[in-house]
Amino acid sequence: MARALGEDLAQDDSSSLGSDSELNGPSPYRQADRYGFIGGSSAEPGPDRPPADLIRQREMKWVDMTSHWEKTMSRRYKKVKIQCRKGIPSALRARCWPLLCGARVCQKNSPGTYQELADARGDPQWMEAISRDLHRQFPLHEMFVSPQGHGQQGLLQVLKAYTLYRPEQGYCQAQGPVAAVLLMHLPPEEAFWCLVQICELYLPGYYGPHMEAVRLDADVFMALLRRLLPRVHQHLQRAGVGPLLYLPEWFLCLFTRSLPFPTVLRVWDAFLSEGAKVLFRVGLTLMRLALGTAEQRRACPGLLETLGALRAIAPSQLQEEIFMSQVHSVALSERDLQREIRVQLAQLAESSPGPHPQLQARLPGAQAIFEAQQLAGTRGSPKPELPQIVVQPPEESRPPRRKPQTRGKTFHGLLPRARGASLEGAPRAHRSSVSFLDTRF
Amino acid sequence: MGNGNEDDYNFVFKVVLIGESGVGKTNLLSRFTRNEFSHDSRTTIGVEFSTRTVMLGTAAVKAQIWDTAGLERYRAITSAYYRGAVGALLVFDLTKHQTYAVVERWLKELYDHAEATIVVMLVGNKSDLSQAREVPTEEARMFAENNGLLFLETSALDSTNVELAFETILKEIFAKVSKQRQNSTRTNAIALGSAQSGQEPVSGEKRACCISL
Repeated sequence: MARALGEDLAQDDSSSLGSDSELNGPSPYRQADRYGFIGGSSAEPGPDRPPADLIRQREMKWVDMTSHWEKTMSRRYKKVKIQCRKGIPSALRARCWPLLCGARVCQKNSPGTYQELADARGDPQWMEAISRDLHRQFPLHEMFVSPQGHGQQGLLQVLKAYTLYRPEQGYCQAQGPVAAVLLMHLPPEEAFWCLVQICELYLPGYYGPHMEAVRLDADVFMALLRRLLPRVHQHLQRAGVGPLLYLPEWFLCLFTRSLPFPTVLRVWDAFLSEGAKVLFRVGLTLMRLALGTAEQRRACPGLLETLGALRAIAPSQLQEEIFMSQVHSVALSERDLQREIRVQLAQLAESSPGPHPQLQARLPGAQAIFEAQQLAGTRGSPKPELPQIVVQPPEESRPPRRKPQTRGKTFHGLLPRARGASLEGAPRAHRSSVSFLDTRF
Repeated sequence: MGNGNEDDYNFVFKVVLIGESGVGKTNLLSRFTRNEFSHDSRTTIGVEFSTRTVMLGTAAVKAQIWDTAGLERYRAITSAYYRGAVGALLVFDLTKHQTYAVVERWLKELYDHAEATIVVMLVGNKSDLSQAREVPTEEARMFAENNGLLFLETSALDSTNVELAFETILKEIFAKVSKQRQNSTRTNAIALGSAQSGQEPVSGEKRACCISL
């Protein structure tokens, strides 16, 4: 190709474009790795993966916990939390994720809803945008290669269903990778309800037309950086790197674009269990890995180099076990996070007065969701109780189902979620119940 | 990433790609900076960037090309994207009239966030799909002329005019910078296009997404 610009001094390496730019479309002769990524590097289990019998043990634990899910969540959430941190065995994610995020209950409460949405015609404006993106979400994953395949078609159905379910929210491109990862594990209906839970309970205000919660969380993240990694924070300030230059892709996509896939799944296990706090911990860990030493910071004098460093962390540092153990030891509690959110909200109100899109309260994880759903059940909206035929050896007589632990907690802010009604919480009321969140974390 | 030593370059020009989702911004970026094109590049969700150093006369110019999501709702979080940009490629898909019809809105968005002196080129991409054309060349050219914009039709797929588009806008920026340099009494600091341009403090109101230095 003629270089009309004359000789280039050098072809720079600094680029943030992902590896898919190196492939000209998928080749049928390239092997898919164990997660389905064509040409992917997640080959057979590496040396850092737990031995098979440990995985088997964990599988048994999860089978047990999920067979008595209400009992487990009522009385032994701590165990769930620990097991999620260790990582859900891949064979059981499909079973556990919908339970953790409460999608299973949503589906039970609204059995015909998804089918109605799937059968209905989508809004043409959204359909155009969704269809245009279908082949661009996970282009290197074998499930999403073919336009007629169940991957792209599933994406179309799930994303369309969401725009019909919440027309005022519509479609956000970042929902694509999130829905895709769900579809890699779940059939469309379950994937849909998981997406609903993520968009409405875990991260309200993320995927809507104003993305106001993303902007707030960017400020919160900077404030946490200033407190926990002050030198990194200072470096970012000097280099002119604002959080909106890197945080949206991280948080909106739940790190699907930023971490090796096995690590992504581990992050999701923790996120579905413990909520948005996990996203902040992962972000802080990435910051420390990329810019934590003076040497690293010296190597990034400017904005582009600094952004580049965030994307160039050595894969060995992002291995699931090493990485997640660091994530789980970040000194950031739910209470810390809530406090910082309050501070930033107050500053936002001060600096730009006038109406803001209402910020909705987040539910910080599986236990809060479970309790909210239980409350909805006990408040009179009948939860269909399907009789279960359980074949098991006689064990000690099971005590009657216990009510959720309410000792010392207030629930003023937790509005019931009945039959898919959208949660319009008053953030202030929710924060008054922060004390019960504290006791847990 | 440590080899971006600013001393090796006389200038760093930040150019942003803007336009509707799906018009080909990401592929224009990859075609220019890495000579690559992919039918299946991912949707751009965050901010992407790539650089390429070129010679303009005797000056070494590092072009810093930025790319971001085109979908409407992302505008809420991309205002930081424009900071320090000295050039913009406003891209539309010439096979989809709708992407051209909103060009004025994009211009407004641009002028709301970027410096008034920014050099803008209107780019009609996907010229390889000549059978599916929905925007006549003359119409777009007239619009560009009437609004003080440069104009070219390109194809990131077959490379047509991609080099020319970037070359032209960089030359235009360079000419502006040189003129400013002559007019200015300062010896090294240049308001437009200097290596520090991306880091100048934003004057005025504090915005949630911007850093005040």
